[in-house]
Amino acid sequence: MSTLTPKERLLRALRQEETDRPPVVCTGGMMNAAIVEIMQATGLTLPEAHFDAAKMSALAQAVQERTGFENVGVPFCMTVEAELLGGEIDHGTLACEPKIAREPFSSVAKVEYKDVSALARCGRMRVVANAARQIAQAKPDVPVIASLTGPISTAASIVDPMTFYKELRKDPAGADRVLDYVTRLLAEFAGELLGQGGATAIAVGDPSATGEILGPAMFERYAVRYLNQLADHVHELGYPFIIHICGDLKRVKGLLPQLRCDALSTDAMINLPALKAEFPQITTMGNLSTFALQWSAPDKIAAMTRHLVADGIDIISPACGLSTSTQLTSIRALTDTVKASEPRK
Amino acid sequence: MSNQPETLYRALSDAVVGMDEEKTRQLSEQAVQTGVDAYTAIEQGLVDGMNRAGQLFETEEYFIPELLLCSDAMYAGLDVLRPHLKRDHSVARPKVVIGVVEGDTHDIGKNLVKIMLEASGFETIDLGRDIPPKRFVEEAVKHEAQVIALSTLMTTTMDGMAEVIQLLRQAQLRERFKVIVGGGPISQAFADRIGADGYSSGAPGAVKLVKQLVGVAA
Repeated sequence: MSTLTPKERLLRALRQEETDRPPVVCTGGMMNAAIVEIMQATGLTLPEAHFDAAKMSALAQAVQERTGFENVGVPFCMTVEAELLGGEIDHGTLACEPKIAREPFSSVAKVEYKDVSALARCGRMRVVANAARQIAQAKPDVPVIASLTGPISTAASIVDPMTFYKELRKDPAGADRVLDYVTRLLAEFAGELLGQGGATAIAVGDPSATGEILGPAMFERYAVRYLNQLADHVHELGYPFIIHICGDLKRVKGLLPQLRCDALSTDAMINLPALKAEFPQITTMGNLSTFALQWSAPDKIAAMTRHLVADGIDIISPACGLSTSTQLTSIRALTDTVKASEPRK
Repeated sequence: MSNQPETLYRALSDAVVGMDEEKTRQLSEQAVQTGVDAYTAIEQGLVDGMNRAGQLFETEEYFIPELLLCSDAMYAGLDVLRPHLKRDHSVARPKVVIGVVEGDTHDIGKNLVKIMLEASGFETIDLGRDIPPKRFVEEAVKHEAQVIALSTLMTTTMDGMAEVIQLLRQAQLRERFKVIVGGGPISQAFADRIGADGYSSGAPGAVKLVKQLVGVAA
C-alpha cells in the first residue's frame, strides 16, 4: 500500500477501494491554490497564466509541488465556459480571479446557440486542454483534476442571473433549453480534457446552484438533472466525476444520493462524518475551512486536519475557494498532516 | 365586499406573495381608480405581501427565485401607486448605501438585501457591483446615509470590506456611519476582525440588523 502513487491513491479512493490513507487534493477552478506567495516566489503569475497553456501548466505544477497537494488542478477560474459562450470577462489581477463583467444575454429566450463541439476546441478551452496534456506528460504519477463550472453557474454567467433565477419558474422550457446547451458544451469540454487530454478526473463546482439558493424542488428539477447529465457523459468516457456543492445542504440532503458522482465535496459547515453515517454509499470529500486556512495558526490547522482524517473522510481537501493571501505554511500544515497520518488498518 | 379597502389590501398582499406581477399591477390600478389611500395600499398591501414573502424565505418555504418574483410584483405595484402618494408620506426615510465590493460582480445577495430594506421603509442608494472602497465612502457622505452595506461572494475580495472601514477611519468618518457586511464567505468573526458594526447571514436578518443599528422599531 505504501507504494501507491498519488494518482493510484486518488483513483482508488474514488472507486471506494482500500487505500493506506486519504489523498489530500485541491481541485482547481473555483477552489484553486494559486496563492500570491507562490506566484511571487516563482514569477509564474496570474492573470497571464489564465490565457497561456505553457504558463498555466507551469503555475499549476508549481502550486502542486509547493503546497504538497496530491493532484494538479486546472484552470484557475470559473470563466472559461462563459467567455466562449459570449460572456465579457474581466481578466482579474495577480490576487483576484477573472470574473464575468457582463452577462451577454438578458433572458433565456435571447441566448444565441452555437455548435458546442466546435466551441469546445477553441478559445481558452483549448488552453486548458493543452495545459492538462502538458502536465500529464510531465507528471505521469500525479492526477490532473480538470475543474468545470457547473451547468447552472455557467447558464447564470451568460444570462443575467436575476432574470435567470426567475425564469427557472416562469419559463422552464426556455431554462431547460439553455441548461441542456451549456451541459452539452461542458460534456464536450470534458471529452477534450480526459483521456488523450491528460486529465484524470473531472470536478464540477456549481456555486449558483446551491440548495439555499434554489430550494429542494428547483435543486432536484434543475441542478440534479443537469449535473447527472454531465456525470453520465463523463462516466461513459470511463472517468470519475467529483461534485462540489457550496453552502448548507440541509434542505437538499435527501436528494444527495441521486447525484451520480464518485465523490461529494462540501463546504466547511457540513458535518461530513454525520453525512457519511447517513449515506454510507457517498464518497465524502472536504472540508477544511478556508477561513481557518487563511487566519488560523498552522498547529490549529493540523489539529483540524487530524480530525478529518480520524473521522474517516475519504478525500481531504479545502472546503471552498482559498483566499489568495493564504500562507504557504498554512497549506503545508494541511497537506503534511494528511501525509503523516497513520496508515489505515 | 370587494369594495372594502381592507379586502383590496389583502388581495394586493396575496398577489405579491403569489408572485403574480400582472395581478398586482391591476389591483394597484384598481386602488388608484377607487381612490383608496396610496400609502396604506402600499403599506398594508404591497409591503405586507413582501414581508410575508420574506418570512417564507426565512422559514425556507420560499427561495431566491420565489423572492425575486415577489419583489417584481411589489415593484410593479409601487410604480402604479407611488405617483399617488400624498407629500407627507414621501419624506425622510433612513438611507443605506449598498453595493458589492471591488473585484466581485455577484450581486444577487446584495439585491435581496436591497429589496427587503426597501420593503421595510429604508431608502437605498444602490451603487451596483465591483465598487472601489473609495466610492462607498464618497456616496455615503454625499447622500448623508446612516448605513453602509457591503457584500461579496468571493474570498479573494473580502479584504475590500476592511479597506472601506480603514478609509472611514482615516477620514475621521468612522463614527458617522454604521457599516454592515454580508455574503457567502463572510462571518461574524470576519466582521469583528475588520471592525464592522454588524453581520447578517441573510436578507431578512440584514433588515433587523439595520433597524437595530439605526434605532428604528422592528
